[in-house]
Amino acid sequence: MTDDIDTLPAAPTAETTPRHLAPGEVGLVSPRDFVHAQPFSFRSGQTISGFQLRYETYGTLNATRDNAVLICHALSGDHHCAGWHTPTDKKPGWWNNLIGPGKAVDTRRFFVVCANVLGGCQGSTGPSSSNPETGRPYGILFPFVTIGDMVRAQKLLLDHLGVVELHGVIGGSMGGMLALRFATDYPRLTRRVLGMATTGRESAQAIAFNEVGRQAIMQDPAWNRGDYTKDAGPRVGLAIARMMAHITYVSDASMDRKFGRRKKDTANGDAYTFDVQFEVEGYLRHQGQSFINRFDANSYLYITRALDQFDLAHAHGTLEQAFAAVEAETLIVGFTSDWLFPPEQNRQLALALLRAGKRASYAELSTDLGHDSFLLESEELYGLVRGWIERDQPYVFDYAI
Amino acid sequence: MTKLVEKRTVDMEIIGDWVEPNTRVLDLGCGPGVLLDYLVQTKKVSAVGVDLELAKITSCVRRGLAAYQGDMTEFMRAFPDKHFDRVICSRTVHELGDPTAVITEALRVGRALTVGFVNHGFWKNRVDMLLRGRKLRNPVYTTEWFESRPANPVTIADFEHFCATKEIRIARRAHLAGDWHSPCRALPNLFAGYALYDLAR
Repeated sequence: MTDDIDTLPAAPTAETTPRHLAPGEVGLVSPRDFVHAQPFSFRSGQTISGFQLRYETYGTLNATRDNAVLICHALSGDHHCAGWHTPTDKKPGWWNNLIGPGKAVDTRRFFVVCANVLGGCQGSTGPSSSNPETGRPYGILFPFVTIGDMVRAQKLLLDHLGVVELHGVIGGSMGGMLALRFATDYPRLTRRVLGMATTGRESAQAIAFNEVGRQAIMQDPAWNRGDYTKDAGPRVGLAIARMMAHITYVSDASMDRKFGRRKKDTANGDAYTFDVQFEVEGYLRHQGQSFINRFDANSYLYITRALDQFDLAHAHGTLEQAFAAVEAETLIVGFTSDWLFPPEQNRQLALALLRAGKRASYAELSTDLGHDSFLLESEELYGLVRGWIERDQPYVFDYAI
Repeated sequence: MTKLVEKRTVDMEIIGDWVEPNTRVLDLGCGPGVLLDYLVQTKKVSAVGVDLELAKITSCVRRGLAAYQGDMTEFMRAFPDKHFDRVICSRTVHELGDPTAVITEALRVGRALTVGFVNHGFWKNRVDMLLRGRKLRNPVYTTEWFESRPANPVTIADFEHFCATKEIRIARRAHLAGDWHSPCRALPNLFAGYALYDLAR
């Protein structure tokens, strides 16, 4: 997920009302920590003595405890998907356009939960957390994490919150993988699944991109086999990994529109230099730099590995068998310009669900924004999400012919 | 909240009569899902629709129907033989790029196939063409040729010829008069405005 999906500029009338106080927004929010103080075993067989997940909630859990909507973030996302942490925050949470009072995911009706994944670095336990056995960060001694492990940890959070039924699980990209695993692993819990720009397994191309990112990190001498302090580490490698990954989240057309061949003012017209000349170069460097200030390189290795390993079909024999237990109504949304998890891979998910006799829909949006299109501010997308989350009351047929 | 009322039409009624309760139905060119909604409500079918337009899929999802946005032939190719108990192709057949491929696939993935279409051999359509010498325009076909999707006008005689040539068994047929309401009992290619066929291999 990119860092810079343009948020709507503050409404012109909002001079007196800061955006975080505006109606139709969740407003100021605070993250919380869920501590699971019992041993947790990973799919790999490795165990940790406990873990913590950082999460946010918006709206209220109803008396029947069945109005929860779980939001699952992508590789570099986090638990902060709506609202503002402080009045001076430049940007709201990453899916603020979708979530809020009266928005497609209406917080007046739904209890929205979003947690940073296990293995992450935004407050949840991961390789940068302190290993109680050594008192130092786990580094690469942290157990290998799978998408299934992330889901299992989040299920424990939902239990802790008292959620007995998930009205829906929504996720884009890796978040879609988590959402699908909720449907396969907790069929009774999961009523609806919405996966966008996602896949049942990555293609060779997506694995290849992840591997280049990992190599950029691991070939940086500062990586030191994952053993580094919080302020040090493979900053160059991580920045390069991010720069490259960022390209895969957008598209030729969207980059061309945003930057074209425009040159930076600082370029001084000197073509014979390796300093930044084109705007796109400066932009990517900025992407890399802002990423290293918020993301841990080891987490990047662990989560990309979890993405690569995810393979619903392989785990169950076939995709249809993987979906055999699913009870959720599923909506899969693909985006025409997504070349990381292309429409075809999204379509295959819906088709396999249908072959397995499940209620599944597939919709496709024509956009040129690439993989990150799922973060699009689009009435068409909102309409689809609204329809999936709170369908119309049944139509009445007039039988008089 | 106002009640959402949908008018049931005669062709819907006939299509519904040919659907067995609690079966698996595929609607090719499902549009906003009115027919499938009707079949789900009256026959408790497990339904899925296919359409090309996002707005149609959104409408189906809002109704709680499963719908797939994409090409109908490619969709059917993703399913094993006889996966569906019935495939329905209602008011769509004249717009198909490759009707043979669609109908052949539909008879593979479905145990039965319902096809409903406007009969272009209906006498008023013939007279209209004869007198006006212009593309057919009426309450059903409202658009000028230059604002219409490519269409392959089909008549009852054409369709029966097609079934004979392709050795497709016609299990049932229903011909409606020009009002699309009362049954047409004689010379359907001339006097029927609308035709429905129940096909099988």
